[in-house]
Amino acid sequence: MRTLVFIVLVYLVFQIIFLSSSQCARLSSNDDNLIEKTCKQTPNYNLCISSLKSDPKSATADVTGLALIMVNVLNTTATRTLIHINSLIHHSPSPKIKKALLSCADMYYSGIITADVPVSIEALTKGNPKFADDSTLDAAKEATLCEEGFSGNSPLTVDNTSVNNVARVTEAIVKLLL
Amino acid sequence: MEDTLPCSYSPLPNGPPTIEGPLDKRRPRKKATLIIFSGLLLLLALFVAITVGDYRNSHNVHENENDEALLATSEPSSVSIPSEQVHSVSRGVSAGVSEKSNRVFADHNAISYPWNNSMLSWQRTSFHFQPEKNWMNDPNGPMFYKGWYHFFYQYNPNGAVWGDIVWGHAVSTDLIHWLHLPLAMVADQWYDINGVWTGSATVLPNGEVVMLYTGSTNESVQVQNLAYPANLSDPLLINWVKYSDNPVLLPPPGINKNDFRDPTTAWYTSDGKWKFAIGSRVNTTGITLVYHTKDFKSYERLDGLLHSVPDTGMWECVDFYPVSKMAGKGLDTSVTGPGVKHVMKTSLDNDRQDYYALGIYDEKTDTWVPDNPNIGIGIRYDYGMFYASKTFYDEQKERRVLWGWIGESDSEFADMKKGWASVQGIPRTVLLDTKTGSNLLQWPVEEVDSLRLSGKEFDKVEVKAGSVVPLDIVSATQLDIVAEFELDKEALERTAQSNVEFSCGNSRGAAQRGALGPFGLLILADESLSEQTPVYFYIAKGTDGNLTTFFCVDQSRSSEATDVNKQIHGGYVPVLKDEKLSVRLLVDHSIVESFVQGGRTCITSRIYPTKAIYGAARLFLFNNATEATVTTSLKIWQMNSAFIHPFRAK
Repeated sequence: MRTLVFIVLVYLVFQIIFLSSSQCARLSSNDDNLIEKTCKQTPNYNLCISSLKSDPKSATADVTGLALIMVNVLNTTATRTLIHINSLIHHSPSPKIKKALLSCADMYYSGIITADVPVSIEALTKGNPKFADDSTLDAAKEATLCEEGFSGNSPLTVDNTSVNNVARVTEAIVKLLL
Repeated sequence: MEDTLPCSYSPLPNGPPTIEGPLDKRRPRKKATLIIFSGLLLLLALFVAITVGDYRNSHNVHENENDEALLATSEPSSVSIPSEQVHSVSRGVSAGVSEKSNRVFADHNAISYPWNNSMLSWQRTSFHFQPEKNWMNDPNGPMFYKGWYHFFYQYNPNGAVWGDIVWGHAVSTDLIHWLHLPLAMVADQWYDINGVWTGSATVLPNGEVVMLYTGSTNESVQVQNLAYPANLSDPLLINWVKYSDNPVLLPPPGINKNDFRDPTTAWYTSDGKWKFAIGSRVNTTGITLVYHTKDFKSYERLDGLLHSVPDTGMWECVDFYPVSKMAGKGLDTSVTGPGVKHVMKTSLDNDRQDYYALGIYDEKTDTWVPDNPNIGIGIRYDYGMFYASKTFYDEQKERRVLWGWIGESDSEFADMKKGWASVQGIPRTVLLDTKTGSNLLQWPVEEVDSLRLSGKEFDKVEVKAGSVVPLDIVSATQLDIVAEFELDKEALERTAQSNVEFSCGNSRGAAQRGALGPFGLLILADESLSEQTPVYFYIAKGTDGNLTTFFCVDQSRSSEATDVNKQIHGGYVPVLKDEKLSVRLLVDHSIVESFVQGGRTCITSRIYPTKAIYGAARLFLFNNATEATVTTSLKIWQMNSAFIHPFRAK
């Protein structure tokens, strides 16, 4: 009796697995697949997934929409960094550090926030993505330059790394549109 | 070429999420989760079977808590997580800088460069076209009309980065001395409110002028629009009118709304119609579409494609024009015939480079067949910074003239600081190279010579292997240099063969010594050579004993600044038997243009020194080969400014 029940159970399990798989194909969201498919083509899958999913619009976005969400994340991350830079400047750092901080503030403000981000948004929304490619690459460059300005004693390593990573994920998504 | 476009083009999926099961709460759906549910069910069923000898098929899904727990324990292995933890922030290859270049400044402990006003203002060119300030990109609608050369361009009136694009306008009687005019067209219609983008001019035989250009509509759809001069008797063509029934063309079926831009100049064919070409893509295949019209207002798309190449992506700024197989002059865009080849040119969106291929155009069937069936997209116009280029036929001097957009290779932050970005290349004449038959020759228009001031000649200067020779000239930032080089024959013969493949981009620049190269000039160098831009020949001897010549521009030590491009650009140079090696260089502050072997190979570079500027800039000859001695003869002219300024009516 027990062996019969066992065989039936195993048979049922296989049925359930089979059902589940086909259910999966029908029930899984296209957009999840798009987000995953897109993020697999970026240098930082986890960052890409968490950034995109933090914005509810990502569920219904096409690749251009996903790129725009990432640009927004870049903007937020860069703005946060700029605020951090400003507070560091106000805490009376040594002249050498202060000089590097001022340089960074300039790069973040004039480079990323008022140039790279608006250009990327306009390029993506108006349908000429190559300018977004150049600008997101530039944003990664600015973050790197800021970091290098401290010759090893950077108080901004976490911020710069973050901005760099976000910029490079953004650029990878933009490249899918070219 | 009877390819037809597919009728449907499947866009990327972006539908709403599918409705879920009995519960309203949203949660991520994963195949694995359901498989795990089935495992849970098995356990449950087993438990039930063991205790009660019965089972129940249950879809009783245990929500969230179980989901999280399950997900935590079994991440689906089909998802790859290539997380690159960037600890030390390196600019890397993605920013166009090789790791190697940082080693050069290792002992300086490179600090990101604080640009000062003196360094930035030096960068502005003296005799290349650029607006007084702000951003410029593609050349638009170049033409000759009533004694004036007209030049239009993509312009941002609001900043030094791309955006808010409108049409700038300038005129000149000689392609060198330009006068700025008011903006020709702004974004004031629903069909170009998101961008007045690139277009081309067609001058009709009756003297009318037709401008076809791309507009980005209020919904960001790329459409083609018609514009024409408000007053044809105004030689300066200051005011323009947009056709009341624009747009004249929408993206056709199968073409994405973002893949339809940059119409060419039209050509007239024996069936009494005007035709123009426009680039696009289907999936990843770049294509050129052709339309025909009688009045520039209504169009028919031709079946078939003029050209297509798989895996090249979007084709921008397509250009299509005839070159003569014999005579050394240009041809009107409508010319066809047995003595004519046609150039099919495209700009590649995904690598920002311009390519062309030569072939034969049959105007009766509207087909173009490349001379080399394996040419694909073709060869580069220019191995450096040169994009969105466009030609026009100058009927005054019977030549075809090429314009090219030369962007910046510094950071956008520096562009914002200096308040401008981009220049145009010096206009070049384009001719078929009748000696090789397989490439074009590009050469600065002869009017450039009128800028030559004092000249200095150096005759047969010997530069031994491993040496640098300073050239004593007045100033080194605005120069026209014509140089010839000869290697000693002995070294050429005795040098061993090598099977190592050489390319400028993959080399270590001028520091990489070979038996027969590199040798050339060090431009925009300071006295101590802490900053220098080598432009040089490199000769490789292949396994067949044949010599292959390359010309490279090495930016790796061009500046102590760390936010500028440090790549080595260059390409192969066809050199025929008994030819001396020759190069012409135009140096104009932050732009250097190299024209090798009469224009067979061209390289445009942007250089941003911090020290080798103004009076501190020097010029040297160098020979970093290990074996060969090089003998050079050069002529060097100081170049006058073109004094480009706004037009002032008298």
